[in-house]
Amino acid sequence: MNKPTSPSAPGKLRLDQYLRPSAGILAGLFLLWRLYTALIVEQQFGADTWVRFALSGLILGGMYALIAIGYTLVYGIMFMINFAHGEVMMLGAFGGFFTFEVLRFIPAPTPAIPDLNFLDAHPIFSIILAFAVGISVSATAGYFLEKIAYRPLRKAPRLILLITAIGASIFLQNLAMLLFGPQRKNVVNPELLDRGAGWTVMVSGSPVLISYTGIFSLILSAVLMIALYILVQRTKLGRAMRAVASDKNTASLMGVDVDSVISKTFIISGALAGAAGVMWGIHMGLVNHYTGFLPGIKAFTAAVMGGIGNIPGAMLGGMLLGVIEAIGPAALGIDFQLKDVIAFSILVLVLIVRPSGILGEKLSEEKL
Amino acid sequence: MKRIALFVLLVAALTLAACAPAAPAATEVPAAEAPAVEAPAATEAPAEEPAGEPEACAAEFGCAVIAKDQTVKVGYSGPMTGDYSQFGVDMSSAMKLAVADFGDVQGFKVEMAIEDDGGGAEGGAAVANKLVSDPTFVAMAGHAFSGATAAAMPIYEQAGVPMMSPSATNPDLTTKGSAVFNRNAFTDTEQGKGAAKYLFETLGVKKLAFMHDGTDYGQGLAKVVEETFVGLGGESVAFEAVTPGESDYSAPLAAVAAKKPEALYFGGYNAEAAVIVNQMAQAGLTGVTFFGGDGIYGKDFLSKVGDNGEGVYAATLVPPGTDSIVKFNAAYLAAYGTEAGVLSAYTWNSYDAVGALIQAINSVAIVQGDTLYIPRGALVEAVRMMKDYQGIAGVITCQETGECNASGPVFYIIKDGNWVAAE
Repeated sequence: MNKPTSPSAPGKLRLDQYLRPSAGILAGLFLLWRLYTALIVEQQFGADTWVRFALSGLILGGMYALIAIGYTLVYGIMFMINFAHGEVMMLGAFGGFFTFEVLRFIPAPTPAIPDLNFLDAHPIFSIILAFAVGISVSATAGYFLEKIAYRPLRKAPRLILLITAIGASIFLQNLAMLLFGPQRKNVVNPELLDRGAGWTVMVSGSPVLISYTGIFSLILSAVLMIALYILVQRTKLGRAMRAVASDKNTASLMGVDVDSVISKTFIISGALAGAAGVMWGIHMGLVNHYTGFLPGIKAFTAAVMGGIGNIPGAMLGGMLLGVIEAIGPAALGIDFQLKDVIAFSILVLVLIVRPSGILGEKLSEEKL
Repeated sequence: MKRIALFVLLVAALTLAACAPAAPAATEVPAAEAPAVEAPAATEAPAEEPAGEPEACAAEFGCAVIAKDQTVKVGYSGPMTGDYSQFGVDMSSAMKLAVADFGDVQGFKVEMAIEDDGGGAEGGAAVANKLVSDPTFVAMAGHAFSGATAAAMPIYEQAGVPMMSPSATNPDLTTKGSAVFNRNAFTDTEQGKGAAKYLFETLGVKKLAFMHDGTDYGQGLAKVVEETFVGLGGESVAFEAVTPGESDYSAPLAAVAAKKPEALYFGGYNAEAAVIVNQMAQAGLTGVTFFGGDGIYGKDFLSKVGDNGEGVYAATLVPPGTDSIVKFNAAYLAAYGTEAGVLSAYTWNSYDAVGALIQAINSVAIVQGDTLYIPRGALVEAVRMMKDYQGIAGVITCQETGECNASGPVFYIIKDGNWVAAE
């Protein structure tokens, strides 16, 4: 497991040993210095603004984390990057959107409000139903994606699987465009989750709005992540997944049905992406066929940053990426359009210092 | 591990590319490439078709020759798919109505040749090359976006095809000395100056924040407004760029909110504007006026922002409710089942552009036998010399630069879920 990958000259190895940490330390010092100037010297923004940045980053990060788990689960088991995962999330977002649309058309008149619709009459049930629909759509999509696109190529070189995944991603995007039209659709929430409503907290004399949708998304993603962690660590299925992840052949010799475990992994990762998609619609308010693409790529980045194959790593990476995107530009005093540059620079930095990601395990030869 | 690192870099590059404004971004075509008029007359028509060519065809660019069973082609090109597709769909729909109303050149039918350029420069050049290869294609009612237009101009210039764009508003387009490019859109400069004056003088705003989408159109517009606004004595407190196509702008909005502006001017299109308007309250910009350009006007925007849109301003060039507009709106609704103006602000302009082009074609076309001859050089001139064409959205009178819009911008505000003219 831990044998050196190639016999290299001892001198070269040494240089590498020192170069990496020192590059990391230098870059880290630079970041700290920029942070210091932005926070202490320039003081462009008050504490209330920083709280707003952090909130927006955490909410976004929660969704990234849920999607990132899907990448990591699949990578852990199949050693492939499922590039269509963002599109699976997009389908979930549409599932939630259409549930709301249908429920709005069902009248549920009460004596007091005669033109009340079902969505506003039973908001909690409606929201649960929207998640149920979104999660089932995405889980189904994940299941069939594996069955149709990936299973026949199980023995093929990994590059071919990757190309297939990209193809599946483009296919799903265009399918959604054909079915639902190219324009962005407005997700109208039940009044309970009105996007402008929330608690107002005073931070250094200014009101900061903590929106219900934001808190709702944050709590739900935390709950789902904990549930997934328990599933992987404490259940029989979880044990089977870990067994397949560490060695497919041995696992099958021990009586684990590898195909079924892989199918279930895709269903679970699809379900999490579906939940993230519905949340995305509820919190951001607009969905179209392109909704999943950018979050998908960002979540993949988050998974790599946290250490791909590692579930807590994906969670950490997602939250970290969300917060970096929200706080980074302001902290470094540069334009908000450059937030992706900051996010990816930090990713490169992490990979230089810790090539396997923040929480990444030392990967065995086979996984590379 | 190396492989993964390499892969990550690749993905990073891909994302950055994807984040870059795919549609309206424009690489300006070097002006030097543009004119290149190399006596195409010699290679074209007159010598080879001796029988009965009218004299006018001996001039530069020759004639478009339309046989008995052929149609006269007027082109249109804009984004027909993708995030900005509503512009292309809407404008081409309006143009088809114009062809139905005016589509007759001395007994010959006019037909729209509608192409998808995605709004970008590459698409613009590709479409232009495709269109000019059609010998019956004589005039271009486009392109829709400034980026695509800039790339396509030199190609039409060489082929002698006059353009009349209803929506390419980038100021630079008419400063390149092009003989073929005209527009009945108002320029971003004029619109921006008008908006700045309106904000400062009519609305009494003293502290204005700016956001833009980094495109030629959006950033250019925001810059003009800022310059004019500061010139008038106002204060510009923030100038933030956002990445087009995203669903969350709460962080840049929080940065803007920290500067406590009285109003927020946004240069860009309605997809991003809708996200911003929806998130303003969450970011602490309650009670701050949102002011946008012509890129956000349209009923599509209303459905994306719902109640959050109350009090939002936008610019457009349509004078409210004249008889001809009411009549056109009814025809549009009957033909497409959507109300005119739902998808974009350029509906009426598009109708006028095609109407004006057909009038110009009519004024130069010559029938001989059962063949129609359209002298290309004369047509280019006729469009540039256009005077007092009475369209539904205003009067078209072209100046020497190709600016043909004789009316200025009108400002609209959302009240009770509808766009109404602001005082």
